Amino acid sequence: MRINLKIWRQSGPDKPGRFVEYTAPDVSPDMSFLEMLDVINEELIVKGEDPIAFDSDCREGICGTCGFLVSGVPHGPEPGTTVCQLHMRHFKDGDRLTLEPWRAKAFPVIKDLVVDRSAFDRIIQAGGYTSVNVGGAQDANAILIPGTLAEKAMDSAACIGCGACVAACKNASAALFTSAKISHLALLPQGQIERRARAIAMVERHDDEGFGSCSNEGECEAVCPKEIPITNIARMNREYFRAMLISRD
Amino acid sequence: MSTFRRVFSSSVGTKLLIGLTGLAMFVYLILHLIGNALIFAGPDTFNHYSHALISNPLIIPIETGLLLIFLLHVYKTIVNYFSNQSARPTGYAEKKFAGHTSRKSVASSTMIFSGLVLLLFVVIHVKQFKYGAWYLTTTAPSVRDLARLEFEVFRQPLWVAFYALCTIVVGLHLRHGIASGFQSIGFDHPVYTRRLTVTGVVLAIIIGGGLAFIPVWVYFTQ
Repeated sequence: MRINLKIWRQSGPDKPGRFVEYTAPDVSPDMSFLEMLDVINEELIVKGEDPIAFDSDCREGICGTCGFLVSGVPHGPEPGTTVCQLHMRHFKDGDRLTLEPWRAKAFPVIKDLVVDRSAFDRIIQAGGYTSVNVGGAQDANAILIPGTLAEKAMDSAACIGCGACVAACKNASAALFTSAKISHLALLPQGQIERRARAIAMVERHDDEGFGSCSNEGECEAVCPKEIPITNIARMNREYFRAMLISRD
Repeated sequence: MSTFRRVFSSSVGTKLLIGLTGLAMFVYLILHLIGNALIFAGPDTFNHYSHALISNPLIIPIETGLLLIFLLHVYKTIVNYFSNQSARPTGYAEKKFAGHTSRKSVASSTMIFSGLVLLLFVVIHVKQFKYGAWYLTTTAPSVRDLARLEFEVFRQPLWVAFYALCTIVVGLHLRHGIASGFQSIGFDHPVYTRRLTVTGVVLAIIIGGGLAFIPVWVYFTQ
């Protein structure tokens, strides 16, 4: 099938960008979206042109490296799917698609569809870890964790940090990412010791990076390739209020 | 910065304040709708209720509290709007609603605009009724005849249209605001959150529709 593409091209962080039209004349429905871009890039390289820059790594939908907007929706129209796992069978012959990078003050464009997501790393560095020395391995059942909590914590920990939540949010808020990272530790015994300091530090880092606030629309949840629910954001709010207003250690 | 200021200038604390003040005004609106609906029981009942309200010594602190809540909500939402705008300096060439599980709606996308309409509406409404013509009832004991003022205003089709439109905007604002307020204050429950979201929409329709119905009812029956 034939796919027409309008792709954001920007040669560098401070360079002006513009949309450039491309055509992929012979796309197999079994190709992934990124494989289609690979084919276009091979032709660009043969012609001596600069290939389209986009991030990708595992191409299995689990690493969180890839991501851009496909016709106005982060990671494209399929729910619960990263753009590397989005297959061309979901599109029709003759479709005209617009590819655009994540847009947020905290995610400056590096080149074409690649943005700098190190703001996420800095939110994690602010508190998304446990730094207590847990000693040697102990008996597996020494710390009992209810199955429901383990499941919830795992659901939050499924966040791959791709940034689609920020891209989809009208406020470019990273509330879903930050809340997932606060939640998966707050729900487990191992995360209790630094629980309060973590909530404060991560929320404040989120704000300092220039992300907006949450309007509770749930666009983030809808585009999240891991379908992380916005109940995490309610939990983050509780964690933060408890840490700041009720008791501060 | 003090802890207090730190909390309420953060993104999460800002939304806590917006949520709490919004929910407080939502509770007030329920009471206001019930009070307004007393007009259906006749002008005397309505006037006596209004007299009981304004003659209560607690009314001054309550009104002052309401005003502060209102101003805080307006201030925080406007500041928040601009800070959110600055989080995405370059917009998208093409952006669609994500659909799927998203709760994004016309109401949620227009909160700042519906809010500004309501700000203007509240000023006009308070001036027109609370500080409007002070008629007295002819029957003893003589109290303020607020029903007469209401009937005079709502016999004019332009005012009826204005009030009906603005109160529908109230409903639109609540359509997103109720559920959003609870989410902002950190409420989430596997069962109740979903019920609350649905109840919020139903209440938004009842409050918006109910407030809009009264001027229309006055116009056609009084």
